[in-house]
Amino acid sequence: MKQAGIKVLIVDDEVALANTLAQRLKMRDLQVQIAYNGEEALSRLKQEEPDVMVLDLRMPGMDGMDVLKEVKKTHPHIQVIILTGHGTDKEEEEAKILGGFCFLKKPAEIETLAAKIKGAFSEKCAKTP
Amino acid sequence: MHSNDRHEQELRLLQLHFIGKILAGFTHEAKNYLAIINESVGLMGDMVQMGKSSEKDLSEYLQIIRSVEDQIKKANEQFRALNRFAHRMDTELSSFNLNESIFELIALLTRLANQKKITLIKNFQEDLPSLYSNPSLIQFLVFSVLDEGLLKLEKDSRITIETAGVDQAVQIKIIPEGNVLEQESDVPSVPHEIVEMAIKQLHGNIVREGGGETLIVLPLTAS
Repeated sequence: MKQAGIKVLIVDDEVALANTLAQRLKMRDLQVQIAYNGEEALSRLKQEEPDVMVLDLRMPGMDGMDVLKEVKKTHPHIQVIILTGHGTDKEEEEAKILGGFCFLKKPAEIETLAAKIKGAFSEKCAKTP
Repeated sequence: MHSNDRHEQELRLLQLHFIGKILAGFTHEAKNYLAIINESVGLMGDMVQMGKSSEKDLSEYLQIIRSVEDQIKKANEQFRALNRFAHRMDTELSSFNLNESIFELIALLTRLANQKKITLIKNFQEDLPSLYSNPSLIQFLVFSVLDEGLLKLEKDSRITIETAGVDQAVQIKIIPEGNVLEQESDVPSVPHEIVEMAIKQLHGNIVREGGGETLIVLPLTAS
């Protein structure tokens, strides 16, 4: 699959951040959808599966770690990048154990994020038969 | 160690824990504002690099600029609240406006409450007399009661904080409204005996009513 077709789902309750990030990633040839909370993200997976999820940890209601657990249970081949403003070492370790692809702290450089998304997609392709 | 000394030590440790919690919440909030500003400015840079200069694009540039201004305004409010919160600890006793001190505490706790999907509502008497007391300890006391509510209540609940003047005192009423979680995931952060100790130091009184309401009464002068 061409890298230009990479499907990304941004999951973040900060509407302004999620929208702006989505715009910038679209300018980098990524196909981007947004979910503003964990429940919405999981509901979207039933309709259309992304290749990569960019996931915030601290969200009202279902938090990012619970979303990660659920995604890895139901859609294990989706690669999940944690992008958080909080992020303790303990949480980074937990995300790794749960199968998170990588852990980035906000504010993240857009080129770094785009590169990680492409790396996560390659990982997905390598692991999916 | 004497039991009173042990409680005193525990009170100080829990006050530090409270300050840490406030700082952690603040930094998380500040990082989000910076992230939004970072992405907004980055988006403008992307658009400039792509040569976007139509009237529609100019309108979008203005929208982004307004968004950045909005984030800076919100961040400034948080910085102001934290600065005032920090300066409450300058001296043990001072003359201050109780409503303002609780207002800044709520401003700093709003993200924590939002994450639990619990709304904090202020209902303050406007012409409340000034207190001469320990504002930092009062903030800790109010936090202790609020934190208990935040831990116990289900999402979509609310907690109302009311203030009123009564004789030579002020009262703070904290009213949780909502269902209680069947199984609390965390231990309450501040034990009741420590809350009692804090209220004693403030020469005040605390009453926990049947419906989960807490009434704190503080003298106008705590000396």
